Amino acid sequence: MGLREDIMTETVDQLPLRRAVTVTPETSTEQAIKLMRESQLGCVFVVDEFDRPMGKFTERQVLSLVCDCDPLDGPVLNHMVPIPDCGCVKKSDPIAKVLHGMRETRLRFLCVIDDKGKVVALTGQKGLMEYITEHFPRQIKVQMMASKLHMNSREGA
Amino acid sequence: MGRKRNPVEPGEFEDPIHNYDPPSYADELERVLCDTEVAQMRIQPLACVQKDATVQDALDVMKKHDCSSVVVQDGSKALGIFSARDVLNKIAHDPSARAKPITGYMTEHPQKVYASDCPAKAINLMAIGGFRHIPVLDIDENVVGILGPRRTTQFLEEHLI
Repeated sequence: MGLREDIMTETVDQLPLRRAVTVTPETSTEQAIKLMRESQLGCVFVVDEFDRPMGKFTERQVLSLVCDCDPLDGPVLNHMVPIPDCGCVKKSDPIAKVLHGMRETRLRFLCVIDDKGKVVALTGQKGLMEYITEHFPRQIKVQMMASKLHMNSREGA
Repeated sequence: MGRKRNPVEPGEFEDPIHNYDPPSYADELERVLCDTEVAQMRIQPLACVQKDATVQDALDVMKKHDCSSVVVQDGSKALGIFSARDVLNKIAHDPSARAKPITGYMTEHPQKVYASDCPAKAINLMAIGGFRHIPVLDIDENVVGILGPRRTTQFLEEHLI
């Protein structure tokens, strides 16, 4: 099977998933930023009382707040971005849905939910790249050794 | 494995790569990842600042271009990269950093790819090194573009359909 077929047929649970960090809507923006920094993640999910995702607060929102000199106090609810349907995937969904969801939402992170809609993990660009890289072991070896050009100018030019 | 060939008569042409076996790929997506060039991905526009810029200058450029990273350059060479992750880790809790030189807050010596490298190499760097933004260089090491998560995802999905 080729990579394309694998992406179309294999499921999200084949991807390297990461532990999702969740906060309540009342959590302060400063606390959410602290959690992102501590967990070395670029995203926290804002969840309701049933652990269902309401929105996400990412480093992109932090950047926007800092650029606009907006204060970081106040609840994270004020700054989160709602998660559209394509921003959530289930472990049984095909990996192609992750790719599609990332493109549609223009974000690096997708929320992995269970059958009851609860947040169970985080996936996104890094996991997808790791998955793809596993398909090219030969190329990795060659490219890690040859990471610099040996020529200073075009051959024969 | 080399192919069996007949002895060459004196004066007869012998193809020097007669036993070359071209690589084969299971599908079009694999071929595109290994047999095309980074230059064929979307690597522009490129947001950049010079090394004497301040953090505020870099933030202004990021806001203007609606992007999450800028390349810090010395002339046309890449010195470092400053991204939304640096803002999260170093700037968000320190408002006084805005007036300081960007060189103190950027990530130095970023991993780079050449425009002539294959897309698989860029993806390998993202996966193995955890780099989200990778400057793209020409043969003279000048920065000609940047690859990020959105552009890589777009490229993959275009060739998945």
